[in-house]
Amino acid sequence: MKRTFKTSVLLLALMLVLCACLPSCAPATEKFSAYSLEFFDTATTITGYETSKERFDQISGEVLALLEEYHRLFTIYNRYEGMENLCTVNELKNGVHRVVKVDRKIIDLLLYAKEMYTLTGGKVNIAMGSVLSIWHDYRTAGLDDPFNAELPPKELLDEAAKHTDINNLIIDEKNSTVFISDPKMTLDVGAVAKGYAVEMAAQYLKEKGYLTYIVNVGGNVRAVENKPKGESWTAGIENPGIESDQTYLRYLQISDLSVVTSGSYQRYYTVNGIDYHHIIDPVTLYPAQGYLSVSVVCRHSGMGDALSTALFCMTYEDGLALVESLEDVDALWVFPNGEQKTSSKFGKYEK
Amino acid sequence: MKKNANNKISPVTASRGNGRKIKNDVIFIAALLILAALAALALFVFRSEGDFVTVTVNGQLYGEYSLSENRRVEINQGENYNILVIEDGYASIETASCPDGICSSHRPVKHGGESIICLPNKVVIEVHSASNGAPDIIA
Repeated sequence: MKRTFKTSVLLLALMLVLCACLPSCAPATEKFSAYSLEFFDTATTITGYETSKERFDQISGEVLALLEEYHRLFTIYNRYEGMENLCTVNELKNGVHRVVKVDRKIIDLLLYAKEMYTLTGGKVNIAMGSVLSIWHDYRTAGLDDPFNAELPPKELLDEAAKHTDINNLIIDEKNSTVFISDPKMTLDVGAVAKGYAVEMAAQYLKEKGYLTYIVNVGGNVRAVENKPKGESWTAGIENPGIESDQTYLRYLQISDLSVVTSGSYQRYYTVNGIDYHHIIDPVTLYPAQGYLSVSVVCRHSGMGDALSTALFCMTYEDGLALVESLEDVDALWVFPNGEQKTSSKFGKYEK
Repeated sequence: MKKNANNKISPVTASRGNGRKIKNDVIFIAALLILAALAALALFVFRSEGDFVTVTVNGQLYGEYSLSENRRVEINQGENYNILVIEDGYASIETASCPDGICSSHRPVKHGGESIICLPNKVVIEVHSASNGAPDIIA
């Protein structure tokens, strides 16, 4: 009797010691992060739970290398020695575009972008390069010399807008070539390429079976798939009202999902005291005015990227109708007065 | 006290050996418990040390600064600079040499995981916090 009592006390004490020690001394996995500022003109973060730093460095290195490859293929601002990319596709030779043989990854992106054009009723149009490059030039000049910042003249934008017909983008899947048949038309994949590349990185992680990761490229977030033990990731939706003390508007629980926010507070320049941001409405050819930010929750990050841009350029009623017509897509709209509206099932992601 | 009680009840012949064993067990358990308590205490003290920001320039660690102490840090790299100000637990960029001003117009940060990024100068200010409740990621 006495012995059993003593033994059980001993066992109990041991268990207590183990319980006290386990969470602190012996975690199965640890959280790590890796960063880059080199891709898609924004900040990239890879976060994951791994058993060792070496293993995480290896895997995050593979993902960063993949994102770098996509960045080099999709950028319209840089060309690289011995390689065709969207920058060289945009270039003219003897006054016309060339038929350019490109990497399959570019073909897949352009096909996906055409799908997004259809889905968003033309609100996401990668053939708008001529218009967007005018804004890009005026914005860059305005940031370099704020006192002389100017808006692009309406006539200049209107003229450029005549050369934005996506049907003039000729994709030959079989021969893996691209050709822009209108010499004054150029591509700008800014509204979809970043999200598409993030989705490709996510697919890579999934194929390899690395399922405790989350990829963030400039607010384009993709969870693959959960934290350890199946726990979902918590994504904070940034409050676009930067004067506010409240950092996050909402907390979303996401598992194997994307959250993408398009905001007017992220990239802008100021002319005569008024801020002009970078999301250009394809109809007015000026920055869309309706919202401070729009966030989209869905699986495919490329779709999330395209939809958040499209919704930013649509009325709430039209945008809501589009979101509700799609399965497993939800959205949050933040209006200039701070008011928030959501799609009907948005609540299921909240704590 | 306990040892005496044990000795009284136990048969005389077995009492010495058993008593010593039990005594050793008690010491062993007590030592383990004290060790665990110390470990937990150390962990607690370490954790409550407070939130801080790390500054990296071009991927290299530039410095680590506690958020509990007001200060001004000049992040200099040749012609380029960002002035980091820590005040009342918040970190912000007061002014910077970059053209876009995204970093200096960014809201002051204090929560774990929040960051201020200056792309032109390749400067990243990131908040590290031990407290729970911060989201894993910001969209």
